[in-house]
Amino acid sequence: MSSTEQGTSSAAPAEPTTAPESAAAPEVPESFYYVHGKDKVVHKVSAGALQHSALIHGMISNLGYTEEQAKANPFPFENIDGDILQMVVDWCNQHKGKPTPPEDTNLPKQKEKLFDLVLAVNYLEIKELLTYCCKQVAMMVKGKSPEEIREIWMIPTDAEDEAAEKEAKKRAGKEAAGETAAAAGDAK
Amino acid sequence: MILSKYPNLVLKEIFDHMEYSDLFILSFASKNIRKMIRWSQKERFITIRSIEYFFDNNWEPPLVHVHSKRGSESIMDLRNPRRDRNDIFQLNVSGKIIDFQLCTNKKRAMASYQESENESVIVSIQNYLLDFFGSSMQYHWRFGYLQHYFIPRLKNVSFCIDICLEEDLKEMEKLETFFSSSPVFKWIGLKTMSTIKPFTPESKLYQAESIRISQFWDNFSLSAILRHFKGRQATVMCDRWENSEELIEFVNRWKSGEAFQKLEHLKFKFNRNEILDKGFLNEIGVKCIDATKQPPTHTLPKVYNWYYQQTEPTTDPIISHTYVVRATDNRVASILIQEDMSRSGEWIETIYFGVWDKTEEEFLKLID
Repeated sequence: MSSTEQGTSSAAPAEPTTAPESAAAPEVPESFYYVHGKDKVVHKVSAGALQHSALIHGMISNLGYTEEQAKANPFPFENIDGDILQMVVDWCNQHKGKPTPPEDTNLPKQKEKLFDLVLAVNYLEIKELLTYCCKQVAMMVKGKSPEEIREIWMIPTDAEDEAAEKEAKKRAGKEAAGETAAAAGDAK
Repeated sequence: MILSKYPNLVLKEIFDHMEYSDLFILSFASKNIRKMIRWSQKERFITIRSIEYFFDNNWEPPLVHVHSKRGSESIMDLRNPRRDRNDIFQLNVSGKIIDFQLCTNKKRAMASYQESENESVIVSIQNYLLDFFGSSMQYHWRFGYLQHYFIPRLKNVSFCIDICLEEDLKEMEKLETFFSSSPVFKWIGLKTMSTIKPFTPESKLYQAESIRISQFWDNFSLSAILRHFKGRQATVMCDRWENSEELIEFVNRWKSGEAFQKLEHLKFKFNRNEILDKGFLNEIGVKCIDATKQPPTHTLPKVYNWYYQQTEPTTDPIISHTYVVRATDNRVASILIQEDMSRSGEWIETIYFGVWDKTEEEFLKLID
């Protein structure tokens, strides 16, 4: 398992130097957690950055891991591609402890990447980033004809939907018939 | 990018960020998408106050507007006169194939069709809008000129007209002829500049649910409206006030239950130093609320929001100590005479008459 700390190092300069809590309260050492995606590349991320993700925040809030324990138990997100998880980690680091701006122009322009990012962000429950992504997805079809929209978003035509529905019904029928036959076999 | 792989809540979030004009075009992508838009945007569609076909003048294509609590937005142009065959796409709109183009700068759909197809195209579009947006909001057909007008037969649509009459009796005759062949209007807005003869007592002008008349230099409409209006809300602005006899007669007819049963709100505004003799209040037998008490406020949703505003459109509030009671059902109407000084130093007098959906006993309970 390889390890990268790009997230933390790139995020360090962006951290607010005069955060209200650091000015008022005695400094508490920041805790870090580790996550990896499909590519097993581990990313070290601060608890502050991870607060953007309701899913991870919920997971870590009661763990009380030591640094060693956290390192030894990275959170696996096998359903998220490594480069997509990297984007998510970078975004969380960049926006750690900051109010999120109304627009985010740094989202991927390629539609496949954006599509995967939306799924990942939805899974990780990062509300603000999901809003930005959905806005960008919505903008992709602005001023397009229904045919162009069908192409961009790969929307099946009514005929394709009907064929798929028929196929699904046929499959369900077959499965039901198979289950009945198996049940009859068990009874014998 | 396969949109159908997204969970429904993500689809909802995407559609939430799309304007009505984009959702309208997207709805033609497939039946399933249309269903998904309707399901996910149910709450947003509830905020739509009205959908309006807007024909403002002869040289711009008519528009279809969506007026909602969020704002006002055009979703499509009707009958694009500058069609360019290269970009045309065809859509099945409630069973009728209609040519469309995209307006490049405004990014909305423009229907392209021959004038002879006007009725059938509009009927299909209205059926489609009813199916897509639902029938909970009001649908209006509004136009502002009498040349080449046409009034199609459409489901769930009310008609409105906003006309400025020239200093020409022919215009008025044209309007009267037009009214006689039209359905009853939801709203009529009329501006006149000079003396014109009164409309006939049977005119559709008086049958409209709501009217708004601005008249300069004359007051033909005031006495006629006080006699013939059969609708719910009327606003008249004029410069001169003849006498208070017609006003007395109007109140007495209302009080007896002989006329104006549907009336909810009247507003007469006089612009030029016209001060009404308050003696007429004694002649109509007004009752008075104790001067030390705060009277209740009479206000109602406007029948028609003639200019777009985001806040809920309501009639001007009437807070008055004087009221009259209708003999037939004991309903109350507040009467207010308000005098204000204009910026140019002239007195502006406004008479309000607001009918309560309350008996006198119920009305008096509203007082603090």
